[in-house]
Amino acid sequence: MITFKILRILKFIGRRLLYLLPQLMGVTIVVFLLVRLIPGNPAYVLLGQGASDEAVAVMSERLGLGKSIIVQYEYYIRGLLQGNLGDSWFTSNPVLIDITQKLPATLELITYSIIIIIALSLFIAKVTAIRGNKIVNNILRGYGFLAGAFPDFWLSLIIIFLLFTLAGIIPAPIGRLDISFISPQRVTGFYTIDSLLELDFKKFANAWSHLFAPVLALVIVNSAPILKMAQATIIRTQKEEYIKFAKDNGLSDKFSERMIYRNSLPPVLTMIGYIYIFMLGSSVLVENIFSWGGMGQYAVQAITHSDYAPMQAIVLISAIISYIVYLVLDIVYYSIDPRVEI
Amino acid sequence: MMKATNKGKRNFFIKKYINVYLIIGFVILVPLILVTFFADKIAPYDPTTVFSGEYLMGLSNKHIMGTDSLGMDIFSRVMYAPRIDLIIGILATSLGTIIGVPLGLFVGYFESRKGINGKISLVLIRILDVIQAFPVFILGLAIVAVTGQKVINVIYVLGFIWIPVFARLVRVETLRTRDKLFVLQERAIGQKNSVIIFKHILPNAISPAITQISTSIAASILLTAGLSFVGAGVRMPHPELGLMISIGSGNMITGQWWPTVFPGIILAILVFGLSMIGEGITISIDPRNWK
Repeated sequence: MITFKILRILKFIGRRLLYLLPQLMGVTIVVFLLVRLIPGNPAYVLLGQGASDEAVAVMSERLGLGKSIIVQYEYYIRGLLQGNLGDSWFTSNPVLIDITQKLPATLELITYSIIIIIALSLFIAKVTAIRGNKIVNNILRGYGFLAGAFPDFWLSLIIIFLLFTLAGIIPAPIGRLDISFISPQRVTGFYTIDSLLELDFKKFANAWSHLFAPVLALVIVNSAPILKMAQATIIRTQKEEYIKFAKDNGLSDKFSERMIYRNSLPPVLTMIGYIYIFMLGSSVLVENIFSWGGMGQYAVQAITHSDYAPMQAIVLISAIISYIVYLVLDIVYYSIDPRVEI
Repeated sequence: MMKATNKGKRNFFIKKYINVYLIIGFVILVPLILVTFFADKIAPYDPTTVFSGEYLMGLSNKHIMGTDSLGMDIFSRVMYAPRIDLIIGILATSLGTIIGVPLGLFVGYFESRKGINGKISLVLIRILDVIQAFPVFILGLAIVAVTGQKVINVIYVLGFIWIPVFARLVRVETLRTRDKLFVLQERAIGQKNSVIIFKHILPNAISPAITQISTSIAASILLTAGLSFVGAGVRMPHPELGLMISIGSGNMITGQWWPTVFPGIILAILVFGLSMIGEGITISIDPRNWK
């Protein structure tokens, strides 16, 4: 029975992956066209100001300029398959290297934020919706509207002002560690994990203290829609006939509670995935405020210096990450609710 | 007698459509909009005037909300600033609605039907999917960077981002409506597809899009502020809320809070008012809430 279930899930994953290919192709077309939209020779555009004639000639060759747009796209895809995302003229590194260095910083930030948001919404769901406390419910609804109205970059600045400038309880909002610390040997790229692997607990604590403020800002703003949604869904599920039926049949509260949880999960999960992707974008602003050195800061740096190769790569990679998140969500979805078809 | 029925009608209207969210929303937004559109008459100073020598002045009678690091009066700037954000939000959302709604109707009506229209709608769905794969802010940032930092480009970019959102909402409702009896009836007597879509399906499929409108305006305003904050939206010296926060951000750490705090609060009030109206509309167009 269990092997049968696993087989079914594997089949689902296979079908879902097949479906992913054309989507990825669409994404690469958009990213490819993005740079061609800029007026001027794409070779110049990608190389930046002050490129030598030879460099332009080499780049034109590599982009397949002069050939048809389809052939150019083919060149671009070939490059991608070889892991070639172009070079950044501003950092003079291959973009792939820059991004593999910077992406974990961003992911660390938004992953911890989403974990806290999930924990928070579970807790809130338990104490308010299921217990049906009206006052707490209304406070929560108010919070949902209010917190969602504040821009996260503004909130970050307020947190810095209150906790750093006035109270002095968080470290200076510059980077992921105090200057006196060397970044830990890279294993996962998450400083909180890597420092633990080195058994350097001071560094571990320091990494957390730097994470605190940006995570707080992201959690306050982005938990609002999820909490609102979780609350609404649970209240709606409570009114369903089958819950009433279960209760009328004398099934325990605990049992109906579990039923409510399980049936409220799918829409909330979708929302969580959506917010994770949204944070990948909006963390750009928070990262800039905290000089986080992640992908978001890299993106702004690329844009202010008209450095188009990294920009193109960031757009591509963020889309790929969002596809991975949606894929994982679909699999979770499918394993809890087998009625789902693609 | 006549009067009485009118009164009855009015009461019915109030009970049917007006709710506390709408009232809160209007109470917040109407004064804000009036102030910002009559800012020329009310504001004490021109928003772009630089008071040389009066940089980062604290709150005083001359400058109620102080001045920023460039010596501009924050109170005057805060009065002008929501104007551009609102205009961008409204125009971008209109663009998204005007293109997204017909697109959603078309896609939903012809999806998985035979013929050329069915194939087109399949392709369109895939294109919409692809646009939605990108994190909103990153896509917006990249397109503004590519097309140039002009206000009109910000409107186009945000409008572009809203197209799939509106199309999707309308598509789902269209799919639900297209096999209802009254639609099949029209098809059976050979009614033109365009008439069926706009006369019979549109009124039944539009409500989720209507509730999305004020949410989209609010989100557009937040996105515009974010883009301006990193220098990819409205540019100096134009008064805009995100830009004002950005100018003040450097001084926050040294304790000059006023250039940042005031525009942020106005921004939050604006967005809060819009989301209240959004919630109010959601409730009032849902027949289950009509008493």
